[in-house]
Amino acid sequence: MRGRTSLALAIAGFGLILIAWEIAGRVLGDMLLSPPSTVLPLLISILAQGRAIRELVDSMSQMLVGFALACVIGMPLGTIMGRVRVVDALIHPWVSMLVVTSIAALVPIVILLLGTGLAMRVAIVFLGSVGYVLLTAYHGARGIDAKLVDAARSFSVAGVALYSKVLLPALYPYLVAGARLGLIHAIRAMIVAEMFVITGYGGLIFQTGLDLSVGPLLAYLLLLMIFSTTATSILQRIGNATAPWYEAWQRPGE
Amino acid sequence: MHVSAPPIAREQTGRTVWTTLSAGQMSSRAAYLASFILGLVVWQVVAGLLPQVVFASPIRVAEKLYAGVLNGEIPTAFLHSLQQFALGFAISLMIALPLGLLLGRSRIAYAMFNPVLNALLAVPSVAFIPFIMIWFGLFFEARVALVVVMSVLDMTVIIMSGARNIDPAAVIVAKSFQITGLRRIFSVFVPASLPFLFTALRIGVVRSVNAMITAELFFAAVNLGKIMQTASSRFDAATMLAIVFLVSLFGLLMQELVKLAEARLIPWSVRH
Repeated sequence: MRGRTSLALAIAGFGLILIAWEIAGRVLGDMLLSPPSTVLPLLISILAQGRAIRELVDSMSQMLVGFALACVIGMPLGTIMGRVRVVDALIHPWVSMLVVTSIAALVPIVILLLGTGLAMRVAIVFLGSVGYVLLTAYHGARGIDAKLVDAARSFSVAGVALYSKVLLPALYPYLVAGARLGLIHAIRAMIVAEMFVITGYGGLIFQTGLDLSVGPLLAYLLLLMIFSTTATSILQRIGNATAPWYEAWQRPGE
Repeated sequence: MHVSAPPIAREQTGRTVWTTLSAGQMSSRAAYLASFILGLVVWQVVAGLLPQVVFASPIRVAEKLYAGVLNGEIPTAFLHSLQQFALGFAISLMIALPLGLLLGRSRIAYAMFNPVLNALLAVPSVAFIPFIMIWFGLFFEARVALVVVMSVLDMTVIIMSGARNIDPAAVIVAKSFQITGLRRIFSVFVPASLPFLFTALRIGVVRSVNAMITAELFFAAVNLGKIMQTASSRFDAATMLAIVFLVSLFGLLMQELVKLAEARLIPWSVRH
């Protein structure tokens, strides 16, 4: 389908959803579902007040600490697991376990360990995202064409140079894809942790829900949606811009 | 004639021996066992360094688990928790399957609603919890709703990709045999997207297990969530870890079951 047609259809899709939401909102009333005609002005006034934005920026910069930690540990470890079978065999089952573990259930345990402060939230974000970053790097490292490595070896490229000149460029798209997947899960984990101890942006959402104010609640959710889509698409852009060979690849992990 | 192998060759042999040792002789079952034991040892050592009120050793976790299972507390709670898991997962599947097929097979529907779906996916599903509370209260209905919310979008997206990837030849053949309507859906679209359906089930089942415990922690604490909450107020790290361990194990088990079913039912599509 042509670009312009699909754009028009996408806009029509959003329009249709907005209309359905508006009708449903009017029928159900403000107690259950505020229509967009109420939520959008609320969103604007919330943005103008600035508190929500400040909370969001605070929460997300704390989230970035945990996410960065997940990348710093997950990417090299995943790569090594992809290249060295023994390491893979020893670590993989536990990583699989971590990935299926409910983050919400880990929160009370981490609270006992680290309290309810920043350290807990960073740890939760780390635990929530490291598995995805690691596994994507792992699949990338396993899938590297053996011919590439053989060619490099026959030019006596080995050790660190093999990693930096051959493996890293081949891995790069996977690292970017893993970072994007990890970021989505990092944001999820941050919101879970904050809702649990009622602080930050997640706390704001939870508190608004307890006050039964549906309009502002929907406005906060919309803001979070906008932030999350922007953040992941920025990461994608960075990926495309820093590695020209990236676009030639089928985007891995999708 | 004694000619010692050149150093490179020797190194090569060394590497081959090493890789066969690690890949071939060490079977995957032994590797699992080694990994399990190593993990438990690390866990035990770490637990030894930390005070008992904040972290528990695997031995104490196992004791708690054993006691809890023996006095029936954990199995009863688990069976009750499973209800919202099963119902929520079933509802999710009933929504995701037709919706995914529709969005995947109709180009117009795809172009219209794929962006909406992506925007919705960007919102962490737990953020809908306050909303679910307002709509469904704090009890069983709310827990089922959270299971649906946490799994339905992921499953829809995967089934949609499956339906989009159906081999056009299959569709054309069906057309030339005048297979249309419901018959086309059930004898062409569904079988052709089975591999993706199994992926959707695998992801959906894990998300649903997560939602099952998440719901009991965020809404009124009942069943497993209740056990965790009580343990948390008593600084009983061992019981909390036992519950989390159990739930994760259950998630893994369900995931493996789906994989097994996939290998049995559609052996032609399983890739490793």
